[in-house]
This record gives sequence, C-alpha cells and structure tokens, in this order.
Amino acid sequence: MDGRDLILETRALRRRFVTRKPLFGPPVEVRAVDGIDLRVRRGETFAIVGESGCGKSTLARMLVRLIDPSEGAIRFENRDITRLEGAELREMRRHLQFIFQDPFASLNPRMTVGALLEEPLRAHGIGTPEERRARVAELLGRVGLLPQHASRYPHEFSGGQRQRIGIARALAVSPKVLIGDEPVSALDVSIQAQVVNLLQDLKEEFALTLIIIAHDLAVIRHMADRVGVMYLGQLVEVAPADQLFTRPRHPYTEALLSAIPVPRVGAKRAARALEGDPPNPIDPPSGCRFHPRCPYATELCRTTVPELAIGADGASVACHRAQELTLEGLAAEGGGRSPDAEKRFALYRARRSEREGANPSSPSQLTEI
Amino acid sequence: MTEGAMTEAGPLLEISDLSIRFGGAPSNLVDGLSLRLSAGETLCIVGESGCGKSLTALALMGLLPMPPARRMSGRAVFEGRDLFELSLDQLKDIRGDRMAMIFQEPMTSLNPAIKVGEQIAESVRRHRGVSRAEARAHALEMLCRVRIPAPEKRLDEYPHQMSGGMRQRAMIAMALANDPALLIADEPTTALDVTVQAQVLDLMRALQQESGAALIMITHDLGVVAEMADTVAVMYAGRIVETGPVARIFEDPQHPYTIGLMSSMPDLGPRGGRLVTIPGVVPPADAMPEGCRFASRCPFAAPACAEAPPLRDLAEGHSVACWLAPLEAVEPGAAEEVA
Repeated sequence: MDGRDLILETRALRRRFVTRKPLFGPPVEVRAVDGIDLRVRRGETFAIVGESGCGKSTLARMLVRLIDPSEGAIRFENRDITRLEGAELREMRRHLQFIFQDPFASLNPRMTVGALLEEPLRAHGIGTPEERRARVAELLGRVGLLPQHASRYPHEFSGGQRQRIGIARALAVSPKVLIGDEPVSALDVSIQAQVVNLLQDLKEEFALTLIIIAHDLAVIRHMADRVGVMYLGQLVEVAPADQLFTRPRHPYTEALLSAIPVPRVGAKRAARALEGDPPNPIDPPSGCRFHPRCPYATELCRTTVPELAIGADGASVACHRAQELTLEGLAAEGGGRSPDAEKRFALYRARRSEREGANPSSPSQLTEI
Repeated sequence: MTEGAMTEAGPLLEISDLSIRFGGAPSNLVDGLSLRLSAGETLCIVGESGCGKSLTALALMGLLPMPPARRMSGRAVFEGRDLFELSLDQLKDIRGDRMAMIFQEPMTSLNPAIKVGEQIAESVRRHRGVSRAEARAHALEMLCRVRIPAPEKRLDEYPHQMSGGMRQRAMIAMALANDPALLIADEPTTALDVTVQAQVLDLMRALQQESGAALIMITHDLGVVAEMADTVAVMYAGRIVETGPVARIFEDPQHPYTIGLMSSMPDLGPRGGRLVTIPGVVPPADAMPEGCRFASRCPFAAPACAEAPPLRDLAEGHSVACWLAPLEAVEPGAAEEVA
C-alpha cells in the first residue's frame, strides 16, 4: 500500500488500565486495546465496530491522544505523534478533532454557543476577534443552526442540535480528520438521519477523513467505506464495507450481522444467536479470543492466537479457518423493503425534494435541527 | 387462571381516550389514545423520544407521579377492571402479579443492595403467600427459565455482579415470576449489545409462547418491531398516527410520519446516497399545533391539516390518522402554499 495514501496509522497499539491494586501481588490489569494495527486512508470513512468493552472508545481516544498508549505507535501523516507534548501536541490536535457521543457532557454549560465555537480558534491563535466571530456565524450556518443561536446556552438546544454544535466545534479549526465516538447513537431515528447526512456533506465539502466508532451496523453500512471489527481489544477483521456485510470472513462478524434485527416482516434472524456474554477482558481466553463463543472453533483456535493476515484483496482477517469457512452475510440487495412500501418512500422523497426545491434558501434547511 | 378464562372473549386490555398532561402545560403529552390488546398478543408501540410511549406505559402501571402529571381523561380496562379507578392497594395486588413491567436499564430497577434471588422471591411471596423456601425454589426455577448460566450461584449474587444482559434476564425472571397476563417492556433491549439483544429477544418470544402472556413492547427500533410485533401502533407527539397488523404497517405504510421514519433509517443494502429525513423537530408541549401535530414537518401538509385528523379504518385493523391517506391520491403541488 502506498505510504502517502495513509493519513493515520497505528502499530501494535496497546493500552492497559489498572483495575485493582491488591495489597499483595501484582496489580490487576485490563488490556483494553491489545495490539491494534490500523491504517486509515486519506479521504475515506473508516468505521470501527464492536460491542461494549471491546476497546473501541479507548482506541478512538488514543488516536487523538486523549488517552496515552501504553505501547505501540501512532503516526499521523507519516509523523510519529505517540509522544508529542505541549505546543507540538496542540498543533497536531488541530488536525485531529473529536466528536463525542453525548455532546451535552462535552459542552461547558456556562458558555454560550458562540464562546464554545470560538474557544478552539482562540486556543490555536486563529484570526482576530472579528474574524473569529465571522467564523462562528459561518460554522453555525454550515451545520444548520442560525446566527442568533450563538448567544444561547447548550441547555437550550435539543440533542440533535447539540450534536450539531459539537460538530461545529470540531470543524472550527479546519481539521483533516474527524473522529466520532458513537456520534449519532444517542439521537432519535429521524434526527440521526439528519446528522448522518450532515457528516457526509461536511466530509465532501472539506475533504475530511472520517473515523466513526459505532455499534449500530446499519449506520455503519450506510456511512463507511471500510470497516474494522473489534473483539476484546483486537481487530478481528478489516474489509471494505460492501464485502464485510455481504461476505464476512470472521465468525464474529458473521454473528454480529446475524444478530441485526431486520426491519422487514418475516425476515427472522438466522437462529444462531451467539451464546453467552463477551468474556471478561481482564482474563481473555487463550488462543483466539473468540473461540469460547465460536461455532467453528477447533483445537488450534483454543491454543494458538491467529494473526490478522492481510489477504490479496487488502482485506484482513484474524481467523485460522478463514480460508475454508464460507460464512453468511446480509443479502446483497439489503433489507428488502416491500415494493409497495418502496412506492410510498419514493412518493415521500419526491415530495420532500419538491418542497425543498421550491424555496431552496428558505430556513427549511436551517430549521432542520 | 380463572379470571383469564372469563375475559377471553373480550380484549385483555382496552385503553380508551387516554389523555395525560403535565402541570399547567397547554397541551396533552398523551392525547386521546385508544388501544386494544387481546390475550397473548404482542403490541409494539413505536415512536421517538417524547412521543408519549413511555408515559402511556407508566400510566397503565400507576407509576406516573401525579402531580405533576394529570390524567385528563380516559379509561384502561384490564381484565374487566378500570386500572385508573383502583385504589393503591388494589393496584399493588395486580402489579407484579397480573401485569408486570420491565425497563430499559435493569440496573436502575433492581435493588443494588438485595441479592437477585431474594428480589425475585419477594414478589412471589407478596402475591402467592408461600414460604421463604418455596419462594426461593420458585426464584431458582425462574432463573433457569430465563436461561441464566449457573442459576444456583446467581441466586445469591447482587445485581452489580452480573453483566447487562444477565441483569435484563433477571428482570424478566422477576416480571414473569407470577405468570402475568400482561407484560409491558419499555425499550428492554436498547441498552444491550446487538448479540445480547438477539438473545434477549429470542428469550422473550420463547417465554411468551410458554406463558401465553400478552406483551406491550415499547421501542424506537423498527427492526425489533418487525421481529416481535403482531400489531403496531406508531405514536407521534402524544397521538397514535397509525396502527395495524405488523405486515400491513411495513408493507403498506400510510401515514407520512411512518413513511418518513422508515425511510430515514439507513437500509442494510448497498449505500444509496443521502438518507431521506424528516425535517425539523417535534413541536414542544407549549407550542403544539391545534390540528395534525405532524403538519409542521410533513411534506404533504395541506390546508385540511389545520384540523386534527381522526384515526380512520382503512382495512381490517389498519387505521391511519391522516386526511390525505392514501398519499397516491394527493395532487402534486396542490398544497404548495401552506408549506
């Protein structure tokens, strides 16, 4: 792979947390992220999916150095940023911005939205006060808020609007990479769709690279170019989204896909729900970490750790049996909405664009918040 | 089950014209809601935050704090008795026995200081008057039924020692301990990971088949609806906008909100550009429109929508509260001026 292609990469990235320090004996550690090699290409949307406790949020935070790695390296534009500090770290962060799941928890309730959006500009010494104010107004408009919203406080906004503020704040310093930790999962379906569209528009407009952490596979299917699947601190499969969803190669990916409730009557899930809960990351199973829940596990899987092997197609999978197994993915044509319902959706779409087209510059875009 | 036999002919639960308002708010948060549920039926109430789906459930269980909430109108006849007319003692006899509820976050509804087995046994003793030992044996049986691994051990564990999926199973065990005729589940799998959600949904379906209980499931996830429901009620801003058998709702969605909701969900198929959205947000309670509450966000809105549309029956059991349904009949551009 061409090195210039990569904007962000990690090598054997690890993070341990001490969960308990007993009076005697060594401290109890959890290896939240345990050896991740990630390669994110410039301009792509890369999604990281996995269940609670798989380490995806820790990984995302390490990428922007909100959490320091225990081992391994992070490279941004071919520069090692693992140990950057002070002014250098701040300068680097300008290019890597983070969007949190719950924007309310990440917006200072005592600051107006205007001040919140101006803060990153001031912190990076960008512009004069007038220029910054103009930039704030521009940012608000860009994420679908109104200029007068600058004087309001975060509590005056709905969840979807707050997420827009969080996005505007991340955009303020013109970053190259946006990393979103479950950026839409706290939002209602109709609001979620608005924010997903917004993120995709912004990505196009500002040529951003998006890294999305999510557990909602439908959102990932819609947004991502490539997907990495994490299980207990490790990547088990990385593949282009289409391939991953229709032809998964790791049994865990297959299990995740088969667990999605499909919004179609009669589309009963394959009755092969995974047994049990994910094991405790403090004491991960031997060999392949997925083997206790894997229907295809063999003796080899119990004893030997599978490497994340990069195949000829650039996709990679960490499974001893990847070559021989034929796993089931989602139907290539998707959820299979009924033709009658599809007619109604088309009608709705047509009417939506007709109304928007009638007065394109009207606040309809702005009130869509 | 003698009571059950008596009411088998009529509906198990019939809610009529339920309206709930908070404090001095100018509009109802649940507005003229009517629903019917037969024994053994699964009804999914679907809608977004603030649509009144949880308020309805809490009102049925008598768990709505009044004040500030006020019931403006309505009856909820369950097994022949109006739940809203019962005294607190009568209600307590029914709750946990004839009807039970499970919540989204089991950690907040399980007592963290009491062992799981004791919490289940407590409800058995309260309603069946059996001995401690018998109640404990029944609790163990329930933990087996919800397929918790090593149930003997789990009986003496505290909620924090269990995983999220296991806690939700324990909640289900507690709710079903006395064989209720009606189980209300408020977003029971929303806090769970997708593989654990699949397990819990499978479990709920299996247990429902075993026990014959009716289920009201409140959810925002249309995938869960398609999988679980016999009947669906779509709520928007306190009103039911569309209701019907699950196949009809998915194959012949009539209300613009139902259609908008379904099409704003990312499809699991290949990527198809932008998602279709519903513009705007739900109007706040102090600015609720007089007529159709969805009109301000509806791409089809017409002058007629200034008046609230009643739920009208289209085909057996499928009703919609929209003047314009079926939408094919709407002239394009006819209502441009009200946009």
